[in-house]
Amino acid sequence: MHGEQLLEDDHEPVGFDWSKLSKASPGEIAIRFVFGATIALIAAVVAHFFGAKAGGLFLAFPAVLPATLTLIEREEGTTKAWADASGGALGAVGLAAFALTASLLLRWNPVAVLFLALLAWALVAAGLYFLFRVSGLFLKQDKLVAKRR
Amino acid sequence: MSILIVFAKATVGGLAVVGFSVLGTAGHPKRFAGLFAAAPSVALASLAMTVALKGPAATVPYAQGMLIGSAGMLAYCLLSLYLIDRLHALAGSILSWLAWMAVTGGLYLAVGR
Repeated sequence: MHGEQLLEDDHEPVGFDWSKLSKASPGEIAIRFVFGATIALIAAVVAHFFGAKAGGLFLAFPAVLPATLTLIEREEGTTKAWADASGGALGAVGLAAFALTASLLLRWNPVAVLFLALLAWALVAAGLYFLFRVSGLFLKQDKLVAKRR
Repeated sequence: MSILIVFAKATVGGLAVVGFSVLGTAGHPKRFAGLFAAAPSVALASLAMTVALKGPAATVPYAQGMLIGSAGMLAYCLLSLYLIDRLHALAGSILSWLAWMAVTGGLYLAVGR
């Protein structure tokens, strides 16, 4: 894990480069579809046999991350894969905000609440990202966890 | 629950994952793109279908289970940070599933059931 590469990456402006999508192979897309479909299938089967709450556990299972991180490492190196997982940790807090919003308000108006829960995920995940970015918390986290500085 | 519904959930879940992964692929910098790795893709698809099929009251326990699972997801990401740096992405990210299982299983047994 290279600190300088991480720092350089962190200074890049936030946005979306849609031209990168043309580099994604059909195989990569298929892998993600299969992992996503499999975990949705497992959640449904577990809910059927062990109850809805047990099935719900798998709605937050990191099924696709190993494939994603391995592909990133192969194409862009370990540091980029590490950075992706680092963002994933903040996304996971947003995931909890999504689940909390849904579990508290779903009875009220399901369609509106699912949109609200998605908004909660986006606000918490992006809010934490910008907080970590401007406050230097990413650097502190890197120093705490990384083997190589 | 019919086989058809299970496969419909799986298909919609897979499509949702592909949809969010498009954002992750196009996003930059990498830490920002990583947020989409923990997007509620399968959850959104699955909860929406369950609401449509069984109603909101029957869907709430799924969301409660997911709340427990998301603590496991956070543990997964934190352990993967430690392990990817030491074992590389494939081994590190697969071994980190143990963190998800331990935290999610432990919380579910302690407070979830």
